[in-house]
Amino acid sequence: MQIRILSSAGSGALYFLKYLGELAILVKDTFHSIRCAPIRWRLFLRQVAEVGFRSQLVVLVTGAFTGAVFSAQTYFQFHRLGMDSAVGAVVAVSLFRELGPVLTALMLSGRVGAAIAAEIGTMKVTEQIEALRALGVHPIDYLVVPRVMALILSGPLLAAECIGLGIGAGYLVATRVLGVSSAYYMTNMLKFTMGRDIKMALIKGTVFAALIGFIACREGFKASQGAVGVGRAPTEAVVNASLMILIVNFFLSFALNIIFPAGTY
Amino acid sequence: MISVLNLHKTLGSQEVLCGVNLSIQRGQTHVILGRSGSGKSVLLKHLVGLFKADAGQILVDGEDIARLKERELGPIRKKVGILFQSGALFDSMTVGENIAFPLRESGITDPETITARVAEALEMVDLSGEEEKMPENLSGGMRKRVGLARTIAARPACILYDEPTTGLDPIATDSINHLIRRLQRRLQATSVVVTHDMKTAFHTADRIAFLHEGKIYFDGSPEDLHKSTDPILRNFIEGISGETD
Repeated sequence: MQIRILSSAGSGALYFLKYLGELAILVKDTFHSIRCAPIRWRLFLRQVAEVGFRSQLVVLVTGAFTGAVFSAQTYFQFHRLGMDSAVGAVVAVSLFRELGPVLTALMLSGRVGAAIAAEIGTMKVTEQIEALRALGVHPIDYLVVPRVMALILSGPLLAAECIGLGIGAGYLVATRVLGVSSAYYMTNMLKFTMGRDIKMALIKGTVFAALIGFIACREGFKASQGAVGVGRAPTEAVVNASLMILIVNFFLSFALNIIFPAGTY
Repeated sequence: MISVLNLHKTLGSQEVLCGVNLSIQRGQTHVILGRSGSGKSVLLKHLVGLFKADAGQILVDGEDIARLKERELGPIRKKVGILFQSGALFDSMTVGENIAFPLRESGITDPETITARVAEALEMVDLSGEEEKMPENLSGGMRKRVGLARTIAARPACILYDEPTTGLDPIATDSINHLIRRLQRRLQATSVVVTHDMKTAFHTADRIAFLHEGKIYFDGSPEDLHKSTDPILRNFIEGISGETD
């Protein structure tokens, strides 16, 4: 019984290490491609439109409603303590440092990660990736680099949009619906929100977007067994990317807090 | 033009190729026969570097491609084109864009040259004027023809055909068989055809190799194969499984 548990834990750990190894090789190959092969700017721009431009609605709606409800919940708790004026600062700092980048990344992994994994997975099982190679085109240059670069560009911008709309919606709910003083709200928000919070949001947005790109491409390349494999690839991409975002966010928050400490003015 | 020396390949736990030796002469059509799952397509994909050999050599014009890395295979892949079993057309592109793809990748940027080369490739496979169609609107036979047009657009010295007639009706099969012969004459290209269709084999071949249990069991002219009394070859030619009702 104990051996079976140990064996199962061991094989799980080995699978995870293998997965990380495959991701690391993909990252290495991608950066090697960016350095050595010509960038396909047309494909990159097409991906910016697909990944960045077309993801705006879902990210903006997420940001707006998260900001609004977070503002309301903060007000309900703080009002009992007579700290209504601190709502703006709490909402803004939370959105910048955690909620904005993480929620944007989770929405992107659902919308973009799944699409990338499905597209590359379909190409894999229909021999289109082999056809690319046979025509002298490296799949990393053609498929991975434009997508990862587009995500790296779009991720922080979408996070900024999400945070901006979240703060705006939070402001409206707090001041127009819940009666918090607009002047106090703005003053405290501006006082406690620093440039380092914005930098943290942008760094997290970039890291999470890159993670989504690499994980989704990896799942697409690993697709096999026809329709079943293609069906599995987007699910695996979304689940793995979401889990990875949450895990990496934990460690990244601690690491970035050393560089950009919270609560010091 | 292509020599395969003592090629070994294991996929999973199965040794698919165990010491394959084969020589393909320039300008000839060499057919590789074998049962389904015998490793014909695996062998064919080694010839263009889509599979990495576990051991052995694959010499293309004297250069051992088994030792080359993916990014070093570019010049070889300009020399050797492959038609995939499914056609493997890029489904996000039109027929014309599919055929123009290898031209653009080889550095041709002039739109008029590209248009002319696409039209010429389509004319060679009897599909003139189909540039604007999407792959999803093509029949199986048409997909293979467009795949072939994409392969020949870059004018390779050698064309590899992976099961070119599988899944086609007898008329379309005959049409593809004639097309392979016609292209070989017109382009003077070396051709390697992987098939288990005896009609395709005898129609197109200058030489025939038979892959059996991971090795080349027979390599000779179509006449030699026809006259052979070897039971394994006879059973394959006549389609006898040895089973009873």
